[in-house]
Amino acid sequence: MTKGQTRSQQKGTDRSAETDLAIDAQNVRVTYEDGTEAVRGVSLRVEKGEFFGFLGPNGAGKTTTIKTLVTLLHPTRGSVRINGYDTAANPQAVRESIGYMAQETSIDRELTPRENLRLTCKLYGVPESEREDRIEELLDLVDLQDVADTRSETFSGGMKKRLDAATVLVHRPPVVFLDEPTTGLDPEARMRLWDYFERINDQGTTVFLTTQYLEEADHLCERLSLLQDGQVIATGAPETLKSEIGAAIFEVTLADPTEQQTECAVQAVQRIGALEGALIETTDDGLSVRAERAREATSELFVALDDAGVSVSGFDIRSPTLDDVFLALTGEDSTAAADEATNEGMASVSAQGVTK
Amino acid sequence: MSGQFDGDGAVVSEPTQKAPGRSATADVRVSFRRWLVKNVRNPYVVFTSLVQPVIFFVLFVEVFGAVSGDALSQAFDSNISYVTYLSPAIIIMSTLSSAATSGIGLVDDMEEGMFEKVLVSPMNRSAMFLGKLLSEVARIVVQTMIILLLGYLLLTLKTGSSTGQYVRTGIPGILGIVLITVLFGGAFMAYSNIVALVSRDQEATIMFSNLLTFPLMFVSSAFLPLDVLPGWINAIAVVNPITYGVDSVRAIMLGRDVMTVLDVTAFSGLWSTVVPGITVLTGFNLILGTVAVRLLRRAARAEVQ
Repeated sequence: MTKGQTRSQQKGTDRSAETDLAIDAQNVRVTYEDGTEAVRGVSLRVEKGEFFGFLGPNGAGKTTTIKTLVTLLHPTRGSVRINGYDTAANPQAVRESIGYMAQETSIDRELTPRENLRLTCKLYGVPESEREDRIEELLDLVDLQDVADTRSETFSGGMKKRLDAATVLVHRPPVVFLDEPTTGLDPEARMRLWDYFERINDQGTTVFLTTQYLEEADHLCERLSLLQDGQVIATGAPETLKSEIGAAIFEVTLADPTEQQTECAVQAVQRIGALEGALIETTDDGLSVRAERAREATSELFVALDDAGVSVSGFDIRSPTLDDVFLALTGEDSTAAADEATNEGMASVSAQGVTK
Repeated sequence: MSGQFDGDGAVVSEPTQKAPGRSATADVRVSFRRWLVKNVRNPYVVFTSLVQPVIFFVLFVEVFGAVSGDALSQAFDSNISYVTYLSPAIIIMSTLSSAATSGIGLVDDMEEGMFEKVLVSPMNRSAMFLGKLLSEVARIVVQTMIILLLGYLLLTLKTGSSTGQYVRTGIPGILGIVLITVLFGGAFMAYSNIVALVSRDQEATIMFSNLLTFPLMFVSSAFLPLDVLPGWINAIAVVNPITYGVDSVRAIMLGRDVMTVLDVTAFSGLWSTVVPGITVLTGFNLILGTVAVRLLRRAARAEVQ
């Protein structure tokens, strides 16, 4: 984490240089033939070497946007430059300088991992003398050396994804686009991919990652854009975005979360002077309070609740997550929250990220 | 800006700015070899190419051969063995089943994401399809040769005839037969890809190809001379490309004019069959090929506006 942050700070000072943009999308709009406006004016500026996240719920337009970046789709309006090449005027140069990992796993299941890698080496014209070495490197990287000569049709989802990720890198592209690379994977497989993406980024590759998992973006990305309904609603470092929405959040669980008790509790909290202007929301089993000086008002809060005759069965003070950012900006919960099993795995991971 | 960390040793080193250039012929070769490997590994392909023709050939010779004597001598004055008469039908039928699977690979690629993967790579798109097409042509050439060999063996076993009795036009004749099967196959590869591109569904592609293969064979001159078949079959046979494929191959094997659907006399001997046959098949290729190429182009830039 520290390494990544130092690097992004270095870049911050260089930002005026301007020539170092890996991705430069200007006001991209995509309207499908049926009139659906999938992307409504997205502008992105990603510098070389950055790990950039593109976060949004299903249907926000992430895949459509990424397809315009990798020449699979021409924007109805706007322009895209990748590594300085215009995707409309010079798609060939763009294709040569990028790697694209599509949302659905794209490997030839009738071929072995080694053959798949060899095929992509040929697709990208990797010189024969370098091919075998590079294939070995990549097989090591994604841990598929043991099954390198087994046909990939029998592989698990995670193995296929890892193979797909390796094929994206055969030509050492300076920019790699990853479209929801970890969707549907178990936590262990996800962690391995994360590790892999961090390593390629450490080696100077610009990574553009779309995800619907907030924790994923939080853990990996130096900067990210939040996308909703085809529009970017916020861009910045995860820390910056989180600090923008307030210092801390109380999560209070009530012993008896009836409507009446909850209402009592809300009124009690509203009367606390230190929590003036706090954002109070009721949850399934209690309420959450987001306020600038929440931590200082902890004991006051307990006293107030006790006075109001509300008994508390659980309590938590936490720093805001990207989920809160999303909630604050859109008033909607992100879809990630619904996927409980996944979130449990993610929660432990992001906890690690914070302690580092 | 690209920070290099040497610590990780075994991994990707510095990113290159651009992938090195390639040539279109190299791209054709890459695609050709990929599909060849895929075909050899696919049990369905091996079955339709190698096992099915052998089964049909032997069974048809044994069953229809037992009763075909009169029909053959009614249509041809000379004494022609049913093995020789049937060979073109088996050759064309196998070509048809092979060509008709062409679209399955395409649908497969689309479902597996390989189609998009190639589109986003710098590979030459036409070269990619040409390579796939050539792998199917190779398959047709190989199976045609195998069937010819099998036919010769059957004929020798049954009547003890020599090679000259089987393909009467010799080595040039064999080359001609291969060329016609490729031309015939082309039309049905295009047809199969059209079905694939319209349906985007494997099962539909397989169904349509089988639906077509079997009945069309019977409403042609494939198994028995049209003279002995009902009038309605004759009527359909005139517009059935199988008739032209089978008749052309048969004319070359027998070294004489065998076509009955069209009365062409402008050429001598077997050319009166082969020239109109090739003309009709080329027509089918042009029409179906144009449609297939259009659909393919549209698929390759499906979402691009």
